[in-house]
This record gives sequence, structure tokens and C-alpha cells, in this order.
Amino acid sequence: MSTDLSHFKDAFFEESQEHLTTIEEGLLQLEQRPGDIDLLNRIFRGAHSIKGNSGMFGFTAVSQFTHKMESVLDQLRSSQMVVTVEVTDLLLQSLDCLKTLIDCAKSGEAPNDELVSGLGGRLEACQNGGTATNTVAGAAPPIPPRATSEHHYTLTWVPPQYLFQRGLDPTQFIKELGELGRVKIVSLDTSRLPKLKELDPEQCYLGWALELDTVKDVTVIEAVFDFVREDSTLTIVDQPPAVASSNDQKPLGEILVESGVVSQTELNQALSQQKRVGEILVEQKAATPEQISEALKKQSDNAPAKKTETPSIRVDTVKIDRLINLVGELVITQSMLSDLGSRFEMSQLPVLLERVAQLERNTREIQERVMGIRMVPIGNAFSRFPRLVRDLSGKAGKKIHLILSGEETELDKTVIESIGDPLTHLVRNSADHGLETPAERVAAGKPEQGIIRLNAFHEGGNICITVEDDGRGLNREKILAKGVKQGLIAESDKLSDEQIWMLIFKPGFSTADKVTDVSGRGVGMDVVKRNIEGLGGTVSIKTTAGKGTTFTLKLPLTLAIIEGMTVRVGKDTYIVPLLSILESIQPKREMIKTIVGKGELVNVRGTYLPLMRLYDVFRLEPELSDPTKAILLILETEGERVAVMVDEILGQQQVVIKSMEQNFRKIEGVAGATILGDGTVGFILDVRGLLNISRNGTAQAA
Amino acid sequence: MADQESTNKELNHQMGISTDGSQFLTFQLGEELYGVDILRVQEIKGYTAVTRIPNTPSHIKGVLNLRGTIVPIVELRTKFGMPTIEYTMFTVIVVVVVKEKIMGLVVDAVSDVLDIDKKDIQPAPQFGAQVDVSFLNGIGKAGDKLVALLDMDRLLTDGDMTESEKIAA
Repeated sequence: MSTDLSHFKDAFFEESQEHLTTIEEGLLQLEQRPGDIDLLNRIFRGAHSIKGNSGMFGFTAVSQFTHKMESVLDQLRSSQMVVTVEVTDLLLQSLDCLKTLIDCAKSGEAPNDELVSGLGGRLEACQNGGTATNTVAGAAPPIPPRATSEHHYTLTWVPPQYLFQRGLDPTQFIKELGELGRVKIVSLDTSRLPKLKELDPEQCYLGWALELDTVKDVTVIEAVFDFVREDSTLTIVDQPPAVASSNDQKPLGEILVESGVVSQTELNQALSQQKRVGEILVEQKAATPEQISEALKKQSDNAPAKKTETPSIRVDTVKIDRLINLVGELVITQSMLSDLGSRFEMSQLPVLLERVAQLERNTREIQERVMGIRMVPIGNAFSRFPRLVRDLSGKAGKKIHLILSGEETELDKTVIESIGDPLTHLVRNSADHGLETPAERVAAGKPEQGIIRLNAFHEGGNICITVEDDGRGLNREKILAKGVKQGLIAESDKLSDEQIWMLIFKPGFSTADKVTDVSGRGVGMDVVKRNIEGLGGTVSIKTTAGKGTTFTLKLPLTLAIIEGMTVRVGKDTYIVPLLSILESIQPKREMIKTIVGKGELVNVRGTYLPLMRLYDVFRLEPELSDPTKAILLILETEGERVAVMVDEILGQQQVVIKSMEQNFRKIEGVAGATILGDGTVGFILDVRGLLNISRNGTAQAA
Repeated sequence: MADQESTNKELNHQMGISTDGSQFLTFQLGEELYGVDILRVQEIKGYTAVTRIPNTPSHIKGVLNLRGTIVPIVELRTKFGMPTIEYTMFTVIVVVVVKEKIMGLVVDAVSDVLDIDKKDIQPAPQFGAQVDVSFLNGIGKAGDKLVALLDMDRLLTDGDMTESEKIAA
């Protein structure tokens, strides 16, 4: 059998990640709600799926290890064991080990056998300790205790024909049933078996009628067939045997559609691999599986070296359906327009305008929805923190309660991927520096348990993420002293609170008295700031001594589109990111001061800001050279402000950022280009870059 | 590229054109004829207004929206130190692909696609042409015409197209 499984493997790794997350979240919640059977079931299902899937791809190390975890979980589920901190610890450690195993399976590296077998042994010991009765050491499956409530089930199972192509072995399922109780094969259903010359050895034609004596519930039995459930014919009857029902042979195409397109997982997979499996499957709906496997093989032959990971997004089908509806509308509008265009008379102008307006609405909505596809809830990025905080509180000997909110807030996938690390740093920082030890807290009259709060919400065109703790707050004097000591500031400098707080984002800065495993090395906060700014966001700090500290990250919703203000200088149009604009003013003569060698300053309500004439910086020909007649935009970046002079403000619009580097190179002071309403190119200003230019400029002039 | 070249040769072969060299798109700058390897040419389009890029050398005319892609436009006359002229209806932009970057060249007029045999290509002389010879691959001879063959890689990847330059005050 030469079917290329690698596409399915990718899906397996992706799915496994999801299951791992589910298990981890579940385990952490389990500590709070030890008796929650739903939760246990959810964890169990996750583990079970990993076990089954990994078995089917031949990752035996993974499936064996998961099996051990599953056994412990099963005992928790059947209340043969209670949830204790030790058990949770062990399970969490095992989960980490499982993650490593799966990563190894993915990369093909050899896993750390010592760790695996060590944990495996502990899991077994834990399981044996839990039952403490009739288990015999060794690999023998646990003998189910003969309880009074033993059921006698009759099962008929006709697996889907593609069973072998998925790398599944029907006997494996029966063996698994055997682990639940005593299983007996009653009869073999051969009704689907074709004549020998028509027989395709890669198809599964057989069905089974089985008897099973077990104490387990029907759901447990059903869970065994989880992976093939959708396409199998499975009946489970809790009574003496019935006659096995034979199954009509489905048309091959239907089976393929069911297995390849309609079912949820396959659909997702097809979507994530659009150009690959999906298209081929769809195009060849009625083709035989051999043709498909051949096509797959051919494809892999054509691109043998392409082993790189392509990032994929799982998209809610609802989102896609809406998009398809919208595209339908767009097509209708377009045909109405072309109809109108083919026999247009001036009298129809109002109709034309109306339809153009409709087209505009359609386009805008499609744009929003398409951007929406990249939007994923931030909960994905938050999900790692319960575990992190649990580990941190253990290490630091602090009691920490983590409160998450706003997990449903959506933002761009790339942004989510990039904020994971900065957020981790901030949470670590709060746990290690922010919160006091229980003793200190009690002494300060606070509850023993510290609180870290993670919140995400939309604000204007931005998303705000706050990391808040109720700890000791930032120590102004300590930061100042350290800043002076490290030569970041001079002792004589008069700094505002905000400027002082910003010192902690300087590379190498740390006020922690002792360097811990967690933080205090002074690496991190500067990285946080750099990462966030790299995403076009800002970091701000609010702190009250003794009350706590709040870090606020402000990020753009997406990286591809920004809200901009179009401005004009002479004949050229530029776009200023709306985020960086504080206000725009028309200055009076007395507000402007010229300082020899330093350029011009403008007094805005008592603060002197450097005045930058955009036409000077970019060497353009302006219409106005008198600041009192022109417009000054007060821009802010990284806490620095500057007044930029332009001729006129044209309006506000959303612009799609296009790269200048793709075909040219970076231009100082320009963040990127965009296409304006009239089809020409406009440049988006980079405030940071402008400041650099003006600084270099003044430095040379001085 | 190599693939394209071999298919091209194959096609030529099938069409009965025997060529050891390659095909060149020729265009005019003033009195002279220049040629670029046709495989480098993506398209030819009429001249449309461009957006100036701040703080760039004068031969970089600006950028253009080419179906959603931002494409820099080079004024070849200025690049070669020739006097600029008023644009006419013949003024065109030759869009070329150089090291996966798309760029446009403003030229006076396009003339022809010529087959030039390898044996008809001589190394560029050290004088004569109005152009810095380092940008030339050689001088090709097609019939009675002499064509200065441009080295696209060298022409368009020198400093001002790729590296950031210092901005003077």
C-alpha cells in the first residue's frame, strides 16, 4: 500500500495539538473541580483520540504512553482513584512528555527513552496504587472486576471500506474491546464481499457481529469506534444476539464524498490544504480510491523536497458560508452593473450610482469578512497561562490566582502568534516581581493569595491586552537608582513617572535583588517592548505602590490594513497612521520658536515639541511654507512627540499596506505604500523613521 | 529561469529557428539601440504618471501601481547620464524581472525583438557608447544594426536599488 499518508499526518499533528491543549486545560480545571465527570470525560476523550490516531500512524511510542495516561484517567473517571495534587502533577508531567513524544514523531528524532519509561513506570505505579487490588504487574490488561451490573452487549460493526487506507486495522478495534471485558466473535458478515476478480485488496469488505460482557457503559464502547464512527454501521444492543444486519453497498463516489469532503475533519483538512488533497478529492469525486492515491503519490513525487511546514488556519465553516453568500451577492451586483453598462443612458444615472454604492457595500463587507478569516480568538494565546502560573506559583512559593477574561476577543493570527512570548514574559514578571510572598502580603494587610488578571478587549481599531497584578507595584526609587547606576539616566535628570517606568524596558535592566530561575536576569522586558512595537503596538504601565501594576499592550487588529489620515504636501499625498495622531492644530505665530542649530519648536499647551516640515524631510515642493497657514499634526511614537507640518488634511480612510521592500528597498520615513482611490501609489509615513531623519538632520546641522 | 530558457530553446527548435544565442527586446534611447534579454521582460506598458519616492536619486522616477503590486520605475536616460526629453506617445515602460524583483524602465520607444547569435555578440568596447560600459553585457550585431546589450543584474541591483543610503541633511 503506497498511499501517501503525510497529508493526514499533518492533520494528525495539528489535531494532537488541540487535544493536548484540551487535556491541559482540563487537568488544570480538574484541580478545582475534582468531581466533574464531564471534565474527566473531556480529558479522557482527548487522550483517547491521541492514542487512537497515533496508533494508526504507527507512532507506537506515543500511543503506548498515552495508553498509560488513559488508564490512570480511566480510574479517575470510574472513581477508583481520587484527584490529588500528586496525580495532577504526574499527569501534567506526562502531558509534557507526551508533547515531546509527538514533537519527536513529527521531526523524526529519537525521544528521551529514560524520561518516557520513567514517567510510564510512575503512571503504572500510580494506576496500580489506585486500584490496589487485583492488578498484576506487567502488560496484561486490567481484569475487569465482575460487578453485579455486568452487561451483555451484542454489537454489529461494518467498518467503512476505506479502513485500510487510513492505516487502521479492524482487529485492533476488537482487541480494544477485549480490554473492556470478554469479547466473542459471533459471526463474520461477508455480504459486501465481491467476486474475486472484482475484489480490491485495499478495501475492507468484512463486518463483524460480536458479543461483549462488560461493566462498562455503552458510551465507553462507542468511544472505541470514535475514529470510524461516522462512516461505519455500528449497532450496540444491550441484550441477547440479534441477526447481523447487512449493509447496502454504497456507491463508491458517495463514500468518497462522505469520507473526503463532507465530514468535518476532512473538510477542515481540505480547507487547510486547499491546493493539495482538497482539490484532488473534489475534482475526482467519482474516481476510485486507487486513482486518488495515485494522484497523491504523483503529487508527492513531483514535489519531493517540499517538506516545509505551511501554516494553516482552521476556519469556522459559518464564516466561510457567509463569505460565499457575499461573493454571490457581489456577482449579482456585478452582473447588474454590466447589464446597465451595456445600454446606458444618462437618465439612468441615479440607478448607476445606487448600484455602485451597493458594490461598495459588498466589497467592504467582503473585505471585512476575509480579514475575519485570519481572526482567531485570543483565548488560544491565553490558554497556556493557567499552566504557567501554576508552575510559577509552585516554584516561587507564592499563592497565585489567575483570572482570564475576554478570551473570545478576536485578532489576527500572526498577531496572536507573536504576542505569546511577550505575554509570557509579562505574566512571569508579575508572578516573580509583582506579587509578594504570602507572608509579605499578610503583613501588608492583603489576602494571602495574589491575583494576576489577564484581560483582552477591543478599543477603537485596537485590541488592548492587560496584565494586571495586585502586588507591590513598581518601586520608583529603586528603578531610578538602578537607572543611574547602569548609566541609563543621569542623576540630575528630571523624569516623569511614565519615563521612569519605561526604564524597565531598557535592555539589561533588572531591579530584582536575586536572579531566579524565572526572571531577574534583565532579559525580557526589552524584548517585550521590541516585539510589541514590531507589531505596530505600544506598551504602557500603570502602577501604584503597594496596590499593584498594570501593563497594557495596545495592538492593531491586523497587520495588513490600517486606518490612515491622508494629507497633502504640494502635489504629493501621504498617509499618516491614525494611531499615531494625537491632534492637529494650526499654530499661531507666537507658538513657534526657532532655536539656533536645533531647528524649530512649537509650543502646544505649554509643551515644546520639535517642528518638522515634511517638505524639508522629503525634499518636496510645498504649497505653503508658513506654519501658521499650514496644518501641524501632533504625532506620537514610543512616548516621543513631534509636530509634522503638512499643507492640508484630505480625509480619513482605511488603507491596505503594500510592501516597498518587495520590489525596491526600505525608505527612511516611509512605513510602506498603498494604492489610493485614484489608482496611484501613496506612501504611509513611519513616525519613528521621521524622528530619526530629523534627529540626524539636526545633528548634522549643529 | 533555467527551465524557461530550455523551454524557449525547445520552442525555437520546434519552430525551426536555430539559434545559439537568445532573443532580445530592443528599445531606443536617443539615437542608440539597447537590448534586454527577452526572458527578463514581463510586459510593456504605456507611460503613466508615477508617484515620486522621497529622498531617492533622480534616476528613480517613482513607483507605480501595477495591478496591485508596487513597482519602482527607473528613468534609463537619467541613469545613463543622458538629457531628459519630453515624453511622447512612444514613451513606454518596459517591466522587467530582476532577481525576483519587478521593476520598470522608462525608454523612448520599443523597436523589435531580435535573434542574436552568440557569435554576433562582442564584448563591450571601453569607449564609444554613451553609457557606462559596466552595465553592458556586450554589443550585438543583428543585420546592419548594433545593439548594446544591457546586463540587467548589474544595472538594477547596484546600490541605489537595494541598499538604504544615508540621507543627507
